[in-house]
Amino acid sequence: MNAILEVQDVSKRFGGLTAVKNVSFSLQPGELTGILGPNGAGKTTLFNLLTGFIPPDSGSIRFEGQELRGLAPYKIVNRGIARTFQLTRPFLGMTVLENVIVACLSPRARDAHDKESRAHQLLDQVGLGAKAKDAVETLPYGDLRRLEIARALATRPDLLLLDEPFAGLGSSEIEPLAQLIKRLHREENLTILLIEHKLREFMALVSRVIAIDFGEIIAVAAPADIVRDPRVIEAYIGRTEADHASA
Amino acid sequence: MLEILIYGAVSSAIYAMLAVGFTLIFGVARILNLAHGAFYALGGYSAYVFATLLHFPLFIAAPLAVLLVAGLGVLMERFLVRPLRTSQLAVLMITLSVSLAVEQGLFITFGSEYRNVPSFVADKISIGGVDIGGQRLLALFASVTVLCCLWLFIQRTRLGAAILAVSQDPEAAQYMGIPTNRIFSIVMAISAGTAALAGVLVSPFLTVQPGMGLLPMVKAFAIVIVGGLGSIPGSILASLLLGYSETIVAYLISSSWTELVSLVAVVTTLMIKPSGLLGRRAAF
Amino acid sequence: MRRASLIDLSGAAVVVAVLALTPMLLNSNYLTGVLTVCAIYAIWAASWDFMSGLTGRENFGHALFIGAGAYTAGFLATVWFANPWYSLPAAVVVAVAFSLVVGFPTLRLKGPYFALAMLTASAIMQRLCLIFWEYSGGEEGLYGLEPLILSPLHYYWFVLAILVIGVAILTALAHSHWGLLLRAIRGDEATCQAAGINVTFYKIASLMISAAFAGLGGALYAHYQLQVSPPLFSVLVSITVIIMVYVGGIGSIYGPAMGAILLTLLTEMLRGFGEYRLWIYTLTLMLILFFLPNGLIAPLWRRLTERFR
Repeated sequence: MNAILEVQDVSKRFGGLTAVKNVSFSLQPGELTGILGPNGAGKTTLFNLLTGFIPPDSGSIRFEGQELRGLAPYKIVNRGIARTFQLTRPFLGMTVLENVIVACLSPRARDAHDKESRAHQLLDQVGLGAKAKDAVETLPYGDLRRLEIARALATRPDLLLLDEPFAGLGSSEIEPLAQLIKRLHREENLTILLIEHKLREFMALVSRVIAIDFGEIIAVAAPADIVRDPRVIEAYIGRTEADHASA
Repeated sequence: MLEILIYGAVSSAIYAMLAVGFTLIFGVARILNLAHGAFYALGGYSAYVFATLLHFPLFIAAPLAVLLVAGLGVLMERFLVRPLRTSQLAVLMITLSVSLAVEQGLFITFGSEYRNVPSFVADKISIGGVDIGGQRLLALFASVTVLCCLWLFIQRTRLGAAILAVSQDPEAAQYMGIPTNRIFSIVMAISAGTAALAGVLVSPFLTVQPGMGLLPMVKAFAIVIVGGLGSIPGSILASLLLGYSETIVAYLISSSWTELVSLVAVVTTLMIKPSGLLGRRAAF
Repeated sequence: MRRASLIDLSGAAVVVAVLALTPMLLNSNYLTGVLTVCAIYAIWAASWDFMSGLTGRENFGHALFIGAGAYTAGFLATVWFANPWYSLPAAVVVAVAFSLVVGFPTLRLKGPYFALAMLTASAIMQRLCLIFWEYSGGEEGLYGLEPLILSPLHYYWFVLAILVIGVAILTALAHSHWGLLLRAIRGDEATCQAAGINVTFYKIASLMISAAFAGLGGALYAHYQLQVSPPLFSVLVSITVIIMVYVGGIGSIYGPAMGAILLTLLTEMLRGFGEYRLWIYTLTLMLILFFLPNGLIAPLWRRLTERFR
């Protein structure tokens, strides 16, 4: 089966800092994969590269067989990749419903005749149906995350990129959101790539984990195996063992 | 050729001083002060009032003019700009309004005739066969001196370090105990003061009229954009570039094109490299 | 999206009726002339608001489009001796062309920089008019244009009709999905991109629409004053329009139109104050920015008609 996303040797430098270094991986259609790494590892930069918000210095990114390099972000969205942001930035001054309608106006989503009812439907799917007419400023943090997902879904993506969806959520909010992601993965036949730096959330959710540190991939394995990988442990806990050994 | 070199240097120096004041207040307080030209005009008119009308000796009239305008600048920042700091556009509008109001006020008070201010140095000096008014040379040297002092002040003194800190991160500076609001006032005073000084220095040979702030403002603004908002070395570099381009254009084509040079430079920079030659903060 | 409620439409009808009937009842050519200028400023203000009010990208160089439209009318009349009615579509085309040329490179700039780039562009045009005085008539400009309609009253009604149609079109667009997208662009461009919206297209398109109406107003003004001169490109014109928008209530379209009418009337009444008028304008802007950033007219209307919605 052809990979839906093929990333080859992608690199990005910011001045003297190499944020992403020769990253290569591929995603099969329908996978739920996670990217794991400590803060500053380059995960969000990678998402920004995949979605066209910053251009890569080198390498290729092929989605459904076509090269994405050089495309503006909105064009990439209209090819079928949607993303959420770590810091949700909703459209202020509008209702929750209106926030989703905006995404329904993108070319990819536009053929649906009644944007409003489609937007309602999406909000119902993420569990925000009752709050459709509320001002978006009144939404609590956890609901903003759901709104992000609704907005991403509005563009009918084949690949969904979730940037730290569980960040900042309390323990009671994490599980329902994880269930939502799982449900959407099944119902919408999506390929999902999600970033997290907290390991526990991954375990139940993803089938494969790509571990990143300092911009490079250090391990790719199933969740159960990744915790035993020495390089991953070192990235998270530090070089204490190695230092003591060489002292 | 030598004439171009020398006259170009005088222009560049004055514009540099104007531009540095403008870029300073932006770099530190993020204020795009469109009233900067008004301070320049007020400097010239204050010199006129003190020296010509009130017959103060020049060595009193000049500093007095600078101090007065510096004070006005501080008042403007404190009462008109600071409450609107949250919106850069609102600041643009209010400073633009101040600029228009000042120009109108000067017109109402003094009328539109050109006024004369006596020179500090009345003699003409000859350099390599080129005659140049002593006042212009004074303007050149004074500007360069002030710029050097300003540079040293910022790099070498504690207050200068505080100013640099505020320009990088006002909140962090506050947490470190730096009184950011007072720094804003101080920088505004320096900015308005240097603009006024430029006005005082050129008034003897350029004369004083209500619209005098407009053209220099356009040029200072162009210099700052081309050099990079917030960058003092950028302003100095750009002022040399623009100062000389203008002098050359004035000689080769016509002096009515000089303003166009600045305007086109601005638009070109904004379109190609909005952060300017040496600017750190991009415009998008 | 948001439909204009019955009370809004009624209010608009009353205002239009008053505006249309007053000069007829008072039978004064002077008043008709003043109201014509009011209506033209209202077109300028509403057109500014559609783009800048909705997207939050404040355009400090609206005079560029106004002058472009006016000078197009001027050239057609004095250089090509064309039928004055050609001025209107020609002015629209030229103004839109200007907006494309200037809009593409400048719209990607952040707020204040876009404002300043537009300001500089209009200043450049003003200077070019003075430099190439053989073609543009220099300081005095072009004169000798012919009126479109001989009767001042009928011309006024014509301009008023254009104003009403223009505000109707702009309001309809603002309430439609277009308006929603423009307001989303004001909110967060990156999020818009992530929602698959071609942000550049909508920004440029709204600038083009804004320019079209501004240019149209410029041509109407040219055929009223029967002359055009460089001050039409000046920052003063741009900022006057902005003040009118702020008084009216930024983002509401009808507010700026009303604000323009009221401020122009006020200016006429204050004619005796001559030189102090600019001070009054400046003071008005300062007061609005400090105390009423949402404007005066639109918020007031909304407050008064709350009970009827």
